[in-house]
Amino acid sequence: MSELAATVMNLPRRDAQDKLRGRTKYTNDRTRPDMLHAVLLRSTVPAGRIRKLDVSAALRCPGVRAVATGADAPGLYGIGIADHPLLAIDTIRYHGEPIAVIAAETEKQARAALAAIVLEVEPLAPVFTMAEALQPAARLVHEGWRGYEVITEGGARSGNIAWEAKSSRGDVDAAFARPDIRIVESSFTVGRQSHVPFEPRVAIGSWEDGRAHIQTSTQVPWTVRNVTGRVMQLPPGRVRVTVPPVGGGFGLKFDASIEPITALLARMTGRTVVLENTRQEEMATCLCRENAEIRIRSAVTAEGYIAGREAVVLMDCGAYGGEQVFLTTMTAHTLGGNYRVGATRLVSRAVYTNTPPNGAFRACNGVYNTFALERHTDEICEALGFDPMAFRKKNVLGDGDLGATGQVFEADVLGPMLDRMETLRASTGTSQAKADGRLYGIATTVGTWFVFVGPSAATVNLNADGSATLVTSGVEIGSGTMVQSLPQIVAGQLGLAPDQVIVREADTDAAGLDVGVGGGRTTVSIGAASVAACAEVREKLLRTAGEMLQTRQEDLVLREGRVEITGRPGSGMSIPAIVAHAQATTGPITGSGAFTARNAPAMSGCAMGHFIDALDIPVFVVHEAEVAVDADTGHVEVLAYRVVQDVGRALNPRAILGQIQGGVVQGLGYALHEEVTITADGRIAQDDFETYRLPLAQDVVAVAADLYEGAPSMGPLGTKGAGEVPILAVGAAIGCAVARAIGKPVRQLPLTPPRVLRLLHEREPPPDFPHIAPGWASNTLG
Amino acid sequence: MVVTFQLNGEDCRFDGDPMTPLVDILRQERFLTGTKAVCREGFCGACTVHVDDEAVPSCLKPVGLVQGCAVTTIEGLSSGNQVLHPLQANFEAADAVQCGMCFPGMVMSLSAFVRDNPHASRPEIKAAMVGNICRCTGYERIVDAVADCLDQARKAGQLVGGIHV
Repeated sequence: MSELAATVMNLPRRDAQDKLRGRTKYTNDRTRPDMLHAVLLRSTVPAGRIRKLDVSAALRCPGVRAVATGADAPGLYGIGIADHPLLAIDTIRYHGEPIAVIAAETEKQARAALAAIVLEVEPLAPVFTMAEALQPAARLVHEGWRGYEVITEGGARSGNIAWEAKSSRGDVDAAFARPDIRIVESSFTVGRQSHVPFEPRVAIGSWEDGRAHIQTSTQVPWTVRNVTGRVMQLPPGRVRVTVPPVGGGFGLKFDASIEPITALLARMTGRTVVLENTRQEEMATCLCRENAEIRIRSAVTAEGYIAGREAVVLMDCGAYGGEQVFLTTMTAHTLGGNYRVGATRLVSRAVYTNTPPNGAFRACNGVYNTFALERHTDEICEALGFDPMAFRKKNVLGDGDLGATGQVFEADVLGPMLDRMETLRASTGTSQAKADGRLYGIATTVGTWFVFVGPSAATVNLNADGSATLVTSGVEIGSGTMVQSLPQIVAGQLGLAPDQVIVREADTDAAGLDVGVGGGRTTVSIGAASVAACAEVREKLLRTAGEMLQTRQEDLVLREGRVEITGRPGSGMSIPAIVAHAQATTGPITGSGAFTARNAPAMSGCAMGHFIDALDIPVFVVHEAEVAVDADTGHVEVLAYRVVQDVGRALNPRAILGQIQGGVVQGLGYALHEEVTITADGRIAQDDFETYRLPLAQDVVAVAADLYEGAPSMGPLGTKGAGEVPILAVGAAIGCAVARAIGKPVRQLPLTPPRVLRLLHEREPPPDFPHIAPGWASNTLG
Repeated sequence: MVVTFQLNGEDCRFDGDPMTPLVDILRQERFLTGTKAVCREGFCGACTVHVDDEAVPSCLKPVGLVQGCAVTTIEGLSSGNQVLHPLQANFEAADAVQCGMCFPGMVMSLSAFVRDNPHASRPEIKAAMVGNICRCTGYERIVDAVADCLDQARKAGQLVGGIHV
């Protein structure tokens, strides 16, 4: 049996039964009676200067054991730039910002003591929108931005522009000046999306032997460790982070937030402290998918060649830079993806506002840039009279084509995937009949995403009972990587059954560095590190077996828990016998492995301010939606949804199909009814399940999906990440399908019934961005 | 005020504010953390328990109102090493679970539904799920598993959820 054949299977989840019986202990199920409870004093203004903060009376309240303020954790953290305090220091930048924290014997006592904190704030005029923030005379959200530590060099910054990334390839001015082109320009605007993981952000901190130990619901144990070290001004090695099963992440838990507070309070009290966001706090301070504004122009010939393209993308990072600083990079690969373009220049700016900070959300940045690019593509087709499918087939990226930063794409992938979509449609049929008198639209869209490769480490211990223990910093957030793909990979490498592979949950004291679970990277990066660790284990195992069997190593194979002589099933000996021999002679059999990005090259000078110049592993999707629009109510019903997804190699097809169904439905919520708005006093208006409209069972359809295998990937066994990307092109497919159904341009998401009605009656003003200058270069920091 | 009720088949006595939500007593005093407090407003269904065999959100149920009632939580549905409820078995077999936090409530809601609606259609199953939100799965596999469960029961000539504590 080949390695691949031994790895690919629809392995069920080992954690399903406990989860179904309610026995799984998520972090917020681990509160014990002897723990202290922490509650936060949060700002009730969006911008202000702290004039007085006196916690002495709160300290004397019943049950209170400690009160901490920004002065107790003065270090700043961030991605790219260290601009974020753990608790506000002197300045308040958003409604809901933590200012102080109280630890008491009970939550009730802690909450009661909040009233005893004396806080005087001088309000400042808030900057709520990117349009306001980019005014020349705008108040600076961060007056001291020049003084911040720059963690990653290269991004241009100025005032309310937290970070700017640019890509530029070829002579765009010349392309737009060609006599044989038409120019098509489109503007788009999208709102925020709230993750709503069922388990909110929660942490349990203790202080043990002079070190912090934080148990928390996170996707990034090493980030929590490092940020805790920064803000507490400790060597990060004095922080240990362990991660129980996580009740949903979707990117929200890809950054540190409240976790270090528990370590701080544990050090102050010597007690174990639990801090859990209430649902209201969780939603009011959610590190949402950012709202964004996009202007894109293309120069296209009558033959349908895209000679030039330029775009400006503004991303609202809220009060602190956070993930958006990094995500400015992605515009070059998402808005700059999908199509072969002659010359191109793109600028992406993360803009500070006095609103709750935004963060990472499944296929961050890609979701709205794909919506914008695909709607723009349809507008090109309409303006120049092209068939949208034929135009896409002609122009999608293929073998040898250049990306926006000059990276050379390998192999024809999107083209054959479009063909596969037509085959899939032929097999399912279409659903136009279900429109039943309503306006009907169908659209096929494409998307480009990537696997966020980066450092991962793995150790494999081979045990005397024939089992193997895999130790990594991986986290099970629900996607199944820790319970399906990783045990499958290790079992396949060592000739074991997957249930013989024990998978250790993340503990930064036990496993090496890891970037975290996100960006579709776990199966690829931790998987590759695990394969490397298994190679060392195999080598030691076969060497020992070779000595015991007096056979050359190259004549031995690992199969079904035995080392056998090639071609002689049942020969050789069992793994436990070999492990026992090794333990007595050369020592226990262990292996360690490591992996990181290979840093695929971009063209020199094409990428500026980028964290990733080129994609090591591109991932492509083709999404097709059929919708019916009720012209009386504006309600959009999704009649059918089809996906062709580039998976590299499907190790567990059934699990991938489950990710596709779930990811598409999250995208349907984003496209149709999940809406976040900011109130006049700077709050997120939708801070509960009544006001934030999540998809329900009756809103959704079964997604028909085809897994496209065989595209090149440096992932183990040719895999690519499959869990992040299913949401990528949903806004695009729904936006294009609705536009075709109603015969009006769709330039904003979500397509709530009131918005669709306004579009139908031409009462929806198109996005207008006076703060985006007509000349592309005027939107850059030079 | 003292409230007494049956909790997973045993006597349970609570001495305190009768307006305390049942979910807080289950989680904080009895450590029955299978009942999840997610929205605490009756929208998500993750805290669903059975009170006298009816599925109710325990976040909206003041403990004073369960005086004399029989309360069953997810831990009581198939305790110890008892076999899984057929719905749980079908969810496991279908690889329906992801993060898993909605499932205890999903199982408690739907176990009452399939018991009372052995001939439910797919649209009726979806309608019954209106009070149970799942953020991970996109629902369809859950619906499929419920439909399969009803099919199997009909073929075997049994009602689903004949197992009672």
